[in-house]
Amino acid sequence: MTDPTALPLDLSAADSQGPLDDRKFWQRLPVKVWVGLAIVLIYVLIAVFAPLLAPHDPLAIDPANKLASPTGDHLLGTDELGRDVLSRLLYAARVDLPIGFLGALMPMVLGTILGALAGFYGRWTDTLVMRTADVVQAFPAYILVIVLVFALGQGAKSILVAFTVLAWVVYARIIRGEVLRIRDLDYVHAARVAGLGRLRILRAHVLPNAINQTLIYLPSDIVFATLALAAFSFLGLGIPPPTPEWGAMIAEGQPFIRTNWWLATIPGLIIVVFGLGVSLIGEGFEERLHG
Amino acid sequence: MGRFGFVAKRLLQTIPMLFGIVLVVFMVLQVTPGDPARQVAGLRASEAELEEVREKLGLNDSVVVQYGRYVKNVLQGDLGYSYKSRKPVAEIIAPRIVITSWLLVGGVLLTLVISIPLGVLAALRKDRPTDHIIRGLGLVGLSMPSFWTGVILLLLVALRFDFFPPGGFGESTYDHFRSIILPSLTLAIASAPFIIRGLRAEMISVMESDYISTARSLGVSGGRLVRRFVLRNAAGPGITLVALEIGYLLFGAVVIETTFALPGVGQGIVLAARARDLPTVQGYTLLFALVVMAVYLLADIIMAILDPRVEIEA
Repeated sequence: MTDPTALPLDLSAADSQGPLDDRKFWQRLPVKVWVGLAIVLIYVLIAVFAPLLAPHDPLAIDPANKLASPTGDHLLGTDELGRDVLSRLLYAARVDLPIGFLGALMPMVLGTILGALAGFYGRWTDTLVMRTADVVQAFPAYILVIVLVFALGQGAKSILVAFTVLAWVVYARIIRGEVLRIRDLDYVHAARVAGLGRLRILRAHVLPNAINQTLIYLPSDIVFATLALAAFSFLGLGIPPPTPEWGAMIAEGQPFIRTNWWLATIPGLIIVVFGLGVSLIGEGFEERLHG
Repeated sequence: MGRFGFVAKRLLQTIPMLFGIVLVVFMVLQVTPGDPARQVAGLRASEAELEEVREKLGLNDSVVVQYGRYVKNVLQGDLGYSYKSRKPVAEIIAPRIVITSWLLVGGVLLTLVISIPLGVLAALRKDRPTDHIIRGLGLVGLSMPSFWTGVILLLLVALRFDFFPPGGFGESTYDHFRSIILPSLTLAIASAPFIIRGLRAEMISVMESDYISTARSLGVSGGRLVRRFVLRNAAGPGITLVALEIGYLLFGAVVIETTFALPGVGQGIVLAARARDLPTVQGYTLLFALVVMAVYLLADIIMAILDPRVEIEA
């Protein structure tokens, strides 16, 4: 919140019932939130410092040393092209994490904007946005992702676009409901009487208070986006090789589960722990909110 | 309007939706980059040959004409011809439907076997250690990519016990049965956490309702209370919950069939997408959309028959 005008009105929001506005919220958070935050922080650090942490170049091929068992030099062995598995796992965090976060954030931003416009302006804006939402929701979402990725071509950009096009609906509905509730509260009327423009009221006064409601959905959407990215890469429809990605690494390792079982299992374990970390944060927040 | 009026109205509503689905499928794939004629004729085809293929496929007609023809053909069961194998798309898809049906039925059955006891137990032991353990397991389940769960089951079960084949669907019914257990279990592990969570929440809200207090005060307790009063009232939302999962289950089938080399529709759409075989992808998408719509419709109808209050909300 860089806008200074938002500051005093954030204080007035303390009177509204939004439990997230409560300053005590951050105190006495359940332990699971801290555990989750610690896990996620470790993953973020790994992604940021992958070049420093990785013992080898994740793309360097070594045909003489393929499918090697773990040794001192290659702590998790090498894959079928002789690439260092540990380095690839670390570098993959730079692909999976940003797409996981963005895949949840982008629909949230789009949904928030559209929901806010629909709620604040009403009439045909509202009709247009909400009917579009109905249509999108009538479709089997994951299947549409396949179709969209097929249509847009393989790669991170297509996946993000597909997620955004399909997942904004939930956020738009929540924000619209919140905006409808908030726009008639006293402080918004006061702002209007003070002569502030409509867009400015929406941006500075209504949105900051409505947005809290959507934050609860963010963790589970991050988990979904990460799992979906891994799934599409596993299917050969996501991140194209040779870029390291956890789901693709599982696919690459599956043919060798009899001999090199760790190739396919460890990337999955890494996804599970990340997903668990994010879910713990979400669960903790939800418990704090709903008692 | 009686509840059969509701069913009739709901059925009528699906007709415009059907056209909408066909339109969206048609439009999305219309904007797909790449020249279909080039795909059919091959890389070395001359411009004259390409033009001939375009004419034959009707690609020179306007989009509206093409859409009209597509709808007409779809209504007659003609989904076009694969760019790759030149076979009718309907013929490619049809045999695969059986296999995916096995997987979905097996998956839903195992989901219920896992989630009903766990969901009920978690609700009855709310906020006690059992509840925490079940919810913790649910969180782990939600974070597990289903293709990875499949690989783990292959590693821990299929490679150890010859009873479970490491992939494929086999020839005899007995083979089919053996082949479908692990994929179904994988699907169940992916979907059970949702059902457990929903059932637990539903049970808790039912148990806090007035009529349960009344039943309690009348001396109904224990298993009889749970079975006759709580579960029965939580069953309706349970059906809706399973039905709403269908899109997720289908995507699970896509991933799991690829993991276990099951030649079902899920594996089919992936193969077609990788081969950039547009008419085939179109056919599968249509099939998936229809299945999802049919399941939603069925769930609404079952609910209307089970619960007389439905028509009021409709």
